[in-house]
Amino acid sequence: MSDDTAVTAATEPARDERLAFRGPIQRLLLSPEIGALIGAVVVWTFFWGAGEKFGNVSTLASYLDVAAPLGIMAVAVALLMIGGEFDLSAGMMTGATGILVALMARSFMGDGASLWLAIPAAFIAAGCIGWLNGTLVNRTGLPSFIVTLATFFVLRGANLVFSKRLAGKVTVDGVDDADGYEFFRKVFASVHSKETFGLRDPIFLILCILGAALIAWSLLEQSLVRRAEPSAAALLVVAIGLAAAIVGLVVLHQTDGVGGNVLGSVLGGVGIIAAVDAFARWRYEPRDGDGTLSIAGSERQIALGVGLVALAVITIFAIDRKEQEEALTWLPSWGRVALGVAAAVAGLALAATFLTRSVRDEESQRTVSAAGWVRIVFLIGVIGLVTMVATLSLAQLVTMQAFRTLVAVILSAVGVLTLLRARGQVGTHSPRGQLAVGLLTSAAVVVLAFATRAGSGAERFRAGLFAAILLGAIGIAANTFVEAGQRKRKEADYEADKLGARLGYAGAGLLAIGFFVRLFFTGENFRISVLWWLLATAIATFVLLRTKYGNWIFAVGGNKEAARAIGVPANNVKVALFMTTSLAGCFAGMMIALRFTSVQSSQGLGEEFEYIIAAVVGGNLLTGGYGSAAGAAIGAIVMAMSQIGIPFAGWNQDGRFVFIGGVLLLAVLVNNFVRRKAQEAR
Amino acid sequence: MSDLLELRNVSKYFGNVTALEGISTSAAAGKVTCVLGDNGAGKSTFIKILSGVHHQSDGEYLLDGSPVNFESPREAREAGIATVFQDLAMAPLMSVWRNFFLGAEPQKGFGSFKWMDTKFAKRAAKIEMRKMGIDVRDIDQPVGTLSGGERQSVAIARAVYFGARVLILDEPTSALGVKQSGVVLKYIRAAAEHGLGVIFITHNPHHAYPVGDRFLLLNRGRSLGDFAKHEIDREELTRLMAGGAELETLEHELGTR
Repeated sequence: MSDDTAVTAATEPARDERLAFRGPIQRLLLSPEIGALIGAVVVWTFFWGAGEKFGNVSTLASYLDVAAPLGIMAVAVALLMIGGEFDLSAGMMTGATGILVALMARSFMGDGASLWLAIPAAFIAAGCIGWLNGTLVNRTGLPSFIVTLATFFVLRGANLVFSKRLAGKVTVDGVDDADGYEFFRKVFASVHSKETFGLRDPIFLILCILGAALIAWSLLEQSLVRRAEPSAAALLVVAIGLAAAIVGLVVLHQTDGVGGNVLGSVLGGVGIIAAVDAFARWRYEPRDGDGTLSIAGSERQIALGVGLVALAVITIFAIDRKEQEEALTWLPSWGRVALGVAAAVAGLALAATFLTRSVRDEESQRTVSAAGWVRIVFLIGVIGLVTMVATLSLAQLVTMQAFRTLVAVILSAVGVLTLLRARGQVGTHSPRGQLAVGLLTSAAVVVLAFATRAGSGAERFRAGLFAAILLGAIGIAANTFVEAGQRKRKEADYEADKLGARLGYAGAGLLAIGFFVRLFFTGENFRISVLWWLLATAIATFVLLRTKYGNWIFAVGGNKEAARAIGVPANNVKVALFMTTSLAGCFAGMMIALRFTSVQSSQGLGEEFEYIIAAVVGGNLLTGGYGSAAGAAIGAIVMAMSQIGIPFAGWNQDGRFVFIGGVLLLAVLVNNFVRRKAQEAR
Repeated sequence: MSDLLELRNVSKYFGNVTALEGISTSAAAGKVTCVLGDNGAGKSTFIKILSGVHHQSDGEYLLDGSPVNFESPREAREAGIATVFQDLAMAPLMSVWRNFFLGAEPQKGFGSFKWMDTKFAKRAAKIEMRKMGIDVRDIDQPVGTLSGGERQSVAIARAVYFGARVLILDEPTSALGVKQSGVVLKYIRAAAEHGLGVIFITHNPHHAYPVGDRFLLLNRGRSLGDFAKHEIDREELTRLMAGGAELETLEHELGTR
């Protein structure tokens, strides 16, 4: 049997004409972590625009510090959730194991135990509790929600009872007096920082350029048709373009004046675009189509896009650039109430129109029944209330500066997207028209970049945001040349896709190393917990996607009976997952105990929900059978950014919970939407 | 050709309840044995005895002519008896290839450090399913996006690939439309042509008759007869299946109204 299959598997199955080819971007959209990734970028940008302090390396260190223990737990909880279960005792576990270690270190056998004994004991205890959770769930058939809720209360009670009896108070300290403290602190809670060195920025830049180039190549490889005979002449242009790009970057790096900046950006930008275009012409099939310039059918969209971008530019200049000024301060308090009421009325009116229309459609022109009206009135009331509360709290929370950022970002994003869509439409019938619209879009983005630079009061916008938007413009232009010039692949090409995937991984790896060098060698303090967190995410992802155990986890969460019927040891998988979660809880508990050297008995209380939220934001399905560990890790970053970002932006700290609630709801909606769209695309 | 699997006078009692009594039938390689019965006829008990979930109270269970005693479903599976349950076959959110190799994932690696050979799994799943005449559009698509008939087909292909000799199908067509049922019946035939002994449990004589070589009729735990195809025609099968005389009485009653 095995010989036979080896032979057959070596021959490639014939292509399936019904299978629509999925490009690399579309495949990315199908992955469960996409919602979290978009969410993380949006939240980061939001706080970056909202406050002066967010966005530098020291803030990064502080929210990674928050994200690491949360992330380790979220990854474990995500695995458990994919396996179809919850663990409400996960948060308390961090406290319970911490208390256990602290108490053992303090008063085991009278004068305290070494950490060499206490910490393994804590891990064994955590493992046992996890085993108990899993076994109880399996044996009793009760929902894990109930079983682990019981464990939660038992642990919470035990924490209080033992810490009060043995230490006489609810906080147990003295971990640092125990034997072995130095060693374990190094393992669980050491702080690392490295001063910058001379070659840091050049290394960062080179790695970024190489990484970006490889990713661009990977995208081209996966979406275009390879040419039978490459045209060598284009390679010369690639070389010249690359040289120009490098010269441009050097000019940018060496000069401070406006002239140097403009020269550098133009040289660099044109160089990159020329290199990408020439590379594509060298390696890939040209697209056929007539040479006429036509934008027929998309004029209105183009006008709308340009108008929106212009509005965004006006917004940037029109609203006062003073930071941290509360929005609507010129309104007296009754004015704000009036605004809320007005918003509510507007919401009501909108809701009323839509709802009555939808109910009428539903009942096909017949009169609306009494129950229908009750439903409409109820929904309208709810929508009105929500609009009012949202407007009022927005008026309280948001500063003028953030308001402006929000409006400008939304206007420009919608504008640019409209233009890109018009570009695609025009491209179906006229390559030259596509080129024209694409370059127009690129130009609009360049204008946006300069407007942001001129209109922003904050120093760091000048460097960071300006460069980022300008890079976006260059990307759009380069992409336009490729779209208009080369033929898109319509079918899967195994070799090209494999090469593309490898190039993509290599590029992402180089980028990661580059950013690590740039961010770590700054003299800022990073905790070792971040490393553990990354390691946990990597291991969990590998297990989930590339081992049979991962297959079993998906199956047990997706259809336990089917998994069991086919021979998967479903109960063992669940027990192992509960134990993993408990052990991760112990790990996080150790990080806290050794860092603060004292543990509160309420440590971890309420955090179990944060783990679950992080996992859900990361695209894990609450009902099991679907999800990703990397998504949960990104979800943890989103949570940590909200926690750090809100006080940094100068807003009410308690607003954090409102924010997290919103993020949770939004992330799940985005996840569902993207998944549905991606499924439809199959 | 001798029979692959044979039941002789098998009975099953749960306390004082008689679930099955005196059932005899056989399944030969390359043949389809249909087990027909209405609700409560004892079909589930019959499957559970065959697949090793239950042990018969009385009678003999022979595999390749020698009596066997399965202690667990796993043992039965290892002996080459694969059971495809109607709703329990697949995890809907997992891709076709993950489902296909679930529980028997191909591994590669060195020493005890092993990981899943995903490339091989994807290709092999696609090729094996094509061999059975099943053409899945995208091996990466979640099983939940397949139709009911396609899902049953994946389960059948999986059983064939993993070297099953006897394939037991529990009402594979009962939840399906006419066209879908036809698709599944085609794969049942295909599995038999691959040399498997197929035991096809159904309550629909119109599904059983075209594919079956042998028919066992169950009613309230007892056998109404075990027929080869030439011994019985479609009308007789339908009549027996529908409760024979009972149905005629019912027709009569309804007719008088």
